[in-house]
Amino acid sequence: MIALRDVTKTYMVSKEIAVTAVRDVNLTVDKSEFLVITGRSGSGKTTLLNLAAGLVKPTSGAVSLGEVNIWGLSDKEQSLLRNSKIGFVFQFPSLLPSLTVIENVALPRSFGTNHRNQDPYERATQLLTLVGLSDKVSAYPRQLSAGQQQRVVIARALVNEPEVILADEPTSNLDEQTEREIMDLFHDIHAKTGVTIVLVTHTSQLVAYGTRAIQMANGVIQ
Amino acid sequence: MSLFRLATKNIEGSSFRSGVVFLCALVVAGLSLSTVLVIRGAQDSLRLALERLGADIIVVPEGEASRVETALLMGKPTQTWMPQENLSKIASISGVAAASPQLFLASLSNASCCSASELFMVAFDPKTDFAIEPWLRQRLGHELRLGESVGGNLVFVPEGEENIKLYGYIISLKGNLEPTGMGLDQTLFLTFDTARDIARISKTRAVKPLEIPDNKISAVMVKMQPGADAHKAALDIMQTVPNVTPIESPQLFQAYRKQITGLLRGMMAVLGITLVLSLVMISLIFSMAANERRREIGVLRALGATRVAILQSLLSEAAMLALGGSAVGIALAVMTVGLFRNLIVRSLEMPFLFPSLPALLTLIGGGLIVAMVSVTLAALLPAYRVSRQDPAVAMRE
Repeated sequence: MIALRDVTKTYMVSKEIAVTAVRDVNLTVDKSEFLVITGRSGSGKTTLLNLAAGLVKPTSGAVSLGEVNIWGLSDKEQSLLRNSKIGFVFQFPSLLPSLTVIENVALPRSFGTNHRNQDPYERATQLLTLVGLSDKVSAYPRQLSAGQQQRVVIARALVNEPEVILADEPTSNLDEQTEREIMDLFHDIHAKTGVTIVLVTHTSQLVAYGTRAIQMANGVIQ
Repeated sequence: MSLFRLATKNIEGSSFRSGVVFLCALVVAGLSLSTVLVIRGAQDSLRLALERLGADIIVVPEGEASRVETALLMGKPTQTWMPQENLSKIASISGVAAASPQLFLASLSNASCCSASELFMVAFDPKTDFAIEPWLRQRLGHELRLGESVGGNLVFVPEGEENIKLYGYIISLKGNLEPTGMGLDQTLFLTFDTARDIARISKTRAVKPLEIPDNKISAVMVKMQPGADAHKAALDIMQTVPNVTPIESPQLFQAYRKQITGLLRGMMAVLGITLVLSLVMISLIFSMAANERRREIGVLRALGATRVAILQSLLSEAAMLALGGSAVGIALAVMTVGLFRNLIVRSLEMPFLFPSLPALLTLIGGGLIVAMVSVTLAALLPAYRVSRQDPAVAMRE
């Protein structure tokens, strides 16, 4: 499904100082796997996720999704690939404040071509029902709690029926009860749809939700 | 959700930023169009007036050129005289095709015998005239008869009356000329015979009689033969005819042309400064907005928006604000110039002709395009920068 081969990512902090966030990583994520990547802050797990998504270009090595080498594609092709095959759940509030809940969920459909003949709002309504927010379709993000916002983000991640969901610390801003609800939701979605999930967290207790777990430290998989 | 809708939502969601850009577009478009309307109105007015006069050279008494120009331009009556024998001397100059005399007269101010106060009257000789007569034949089908007149666009019969009364003489207004925006619009044209009849009647019926000195004329309109050198003829007139000033058509209203040029430069300078300041402000606002929205744009990129789509969305936002702002600015400019045209004419002491509807629509279209292109260009650099940003870097901000 996702394959990283000898991937290294080095950031230039200044002209002289370079920081290597990910070093010589080899990782394969199989279809329908629920992979949990743990590690302390600065261990390189978010960079690894961004590399897998094609959001960051590796300094060296290759990243592929399915059979496609992501960095062999043009910007437009990469965007279409992300739009159709990957769903994102971010650590920070990532809903557009000027759009309603249903507009936020339907938004990724407007960037792609696969579902042009389908009503995006019908699909968005189904997903909002799935995440338990069918009564909030017309609300704005500011009117929702942090947990509800993250549920909307999960619904948005599913709107284009992706092959993989990449979740970066999706529960880091939530209380324990809400964290459990969100992780249960990920578990249910994985069980029902068989979508591949790669979830990054610094909370080692969450590895129980995955089908496989790996740990990162200093940019290397342990 | 289309990019257009996303841009609309962003405009609604940031009312202060949108308001400032809207206001900048309003000022740029409004000021541009008012400047163009005033300057073009003055230029069109001068051009039409020259066409209306139809003369290649106007010969006036020496030292009276400025007063005659002011009379023709602003409708301020003047009376000036030179010997009638000048006419034959001028007509005999080489290259002159026709020479026609005119009398400059004025009605009395606030007198019971005149229904129009201080009206500038131009009497022409139908036998030699080449400017008014062709128009009369075309529009009325006949020459002006005794007791008849034709007025500029702003000459009317007083309300409740059927004719105009001048020096106690009842004169019929047979029609009005097309507007020029100049003093000619407030001028009454009549024949020599009618003018002399008014003078005769006025001795018994007017508060003060109309005086037309014997064997005197006010000006001579000169038409050159095709290909003849008007400048040479003007020099010949100066040498042959004593105490006159020949004004060549291109030199006519020269002082006003200079005034218009000066005004044009001043207004263009103000417009230029406003335009630059507005565009810098719009560019800064969009830079700030792009920085504020880096994370949001990073999210959009991650969700599958291409760089081009991001650029289009940001530029659509700028274009929509520019369109709205400039439409309001243009409407205000047209209303202001239209409603206060008399004030503009008085305060700038310049003629003014409001453009025809097709010309106005062209100017409005041009104004909208200029404002939209300017604002979109001002937003282009910040929008381009943020659209090129690495999505992961943008989201980390």
